[in-house]
Amino acid sequence: MTLPRPPRPGGGRLIDARLSLLDRQVLDASGQPVGVVDDLEVSELPEPTGDGRVRVLNLVHGPIVLERIVGGRRPKAHFERVPWSTVAKLGSAIELAVDADEVPVGWLEDWLARNVIARIPGGRHVPR
Amino acid sequence: MKRLFAVALGILTAIGGFLDIGDIVTNAVVGSRFGMSLAWVVLVGVAGICVFAHMAGKVAAVSGRATFEVIRERLGPRMALANLGASFLINLLTLTAEVGGIALALQLASSVHYLLWVPVAALAVWLVIWRVGFEKMENVTGLVGLLLIAFAVAFFLLGPDWGELGAQVLQRLPGNEASATYWFYAVALFGAALTPYEVFFFSSGAVEEGWTVKDLGQSRLNVLVGFPLGGLLSLAIAGCAALVLLPRGIEVTSLGQVLLPVAEAGGKLLLVAVILGVVAATFGAALETTLSAGYTVAQFFGWTWGKFRRPAQAARFHVTMMICMIIGLGVLATGVDPVMVTEISVVFSAAALPLTYLPILIVSNDPDYMGEHVNGRALNVAGQVYFVLILVASLAAIPLLIVTGVGQ
Repeated sequence: MTLPRPPRPGGGRLIDARLSLLDRQVLDASGQPVGVVDDLEVSELPEPTGDGRVRVLNLVHGPIVLERIVGGRRPKAHFERVPWSTVAKLGSAIELAVDADEVPVGWLEDWLARNVIARIPGGRHVPR
Repeated sequence: MKRLFAVALGILTAIGGFLDIGDIVTNAVVGSRFGMSLAWVVLVGVAGICVFAHMAGKVAAVSGRATFEVIRERLGPRMALANLGASFLINLLTLTAEVGGIALALQLASSVHYLLWVPVAALAVWLVIWRVGFEKMENVTGLVGLLLIAFAVAFFLLGPDWGELGAQVLQRLPGNEASATYWFYAVALFGAALTPYEVFFFSSGAVEEGWTVKDLGQSRLNVLVGFPLGGLLSLAIAGCAALVLLPRGIEVTSLGQVLLPVAEAGGKLLLVAVILGVVAATFGAALETTLSAGYTVAQFFGWTWGKFRRPAQAARFHVTMMICMIIGLGVLATGVDPVMVTEISVVFSAAALPLTYLPILIVSNDPDYMGEHVNGRALNVAGQVYFVLILVASLAAIPLLIVTGVGQ
């Protein structure tokens, strides 16, 4: 697996995608969790113009994890993708170079925040 | 001076926060039936939680990853989901038992039926989670929980016959008890000391409080000094029951009987102290189990979580906890005996232990996560010995539960 050039994690370290990418926590540039790497989108093999190696195109997160558990497939249009080019650092978590709001997230968090949590007094304040 | 205060506070809250309804009830039941003959399990269990919590805290402080993130990453989604299902259900059972415990203690204080206290207790727990900061919550429940020292005071006031207690410690099977029952309660005591939620909470709490490698020393002190002293309180509870209830053939089936020896030894004042202590201990544990329910689910799915965020920034986390509290309320509303729920929850805790323990043991040896802070040789030997013990207890738990008919 080759890594795209701009934000090159670890200077060309060889890693096992299954061990070090899948199921790791993903944090945004400020350290907020944005999800878990629930699946990976990789280039077709062999890639017509490339050097024939498989590339990781996107980290995919969200309910897609259910397909890894029970099987099945959803249309590619429904993938919640985090482009590989936004990855800044690989470690015990995968750190992105972008903020959480630039990453697609499911509707549930927003919906609950707006319609349930924010309506209860104190929902917008840090507990002290 | 400030530093000394922080160290003392950490240790004191670790002692006061060590016991929950599972420890209190199980130790009293065991003391009233087996005297001190199962005291060795408490020692083994307390050493186990020290090893386990120390490793989980270290992983969280060094890598910033809480326990369920590690479980998901190491076991993959399928095994981790099965693990989440089991841990979540047992945690829900424990949560129900703790809220029931608060209500039972308030009933003893007020003579108002515990079912009327249940919604009050649940609402209070939720309000604290919603509004009170993490450290304040930990410190207050931990410090008030120290009142459980009343059990130790009562134990000495009762003028223990050390020769008799010593004989009980060495004795295998007292009187007319079957050996399956003896081992059933051994597993229950082990499960009460090593409840999985404690580890979810401890590691997630390390992230909530923003621990780094610098805090490892304090964490080690809290665990290695605070937990064993908390374990002594467990022994004091069993000892009180062994001194007062065992000779009269009273078997513990209610919280009132657990506190009977304290009332006999110390009168009203000590009884007030111990009831306050029980309320604080169960309240603290109810907070910890509720938060653990949110932590485990949020960490599995990678949601935002934590009390250091505004609830609106961790909406799914907070809604999960509300749902758990409502389910717990529903279970208690059926009128099921909270003491029974407690006894079952500690046995299932023992059964589920390897699920959380093994991933922590593996990751605390992974240099990718831990760098130079991987387990040393001594910790690994202890860790592996305990893995074998935990596995044996886990495999024996459910068969013993069935064979003995929940220890009858």
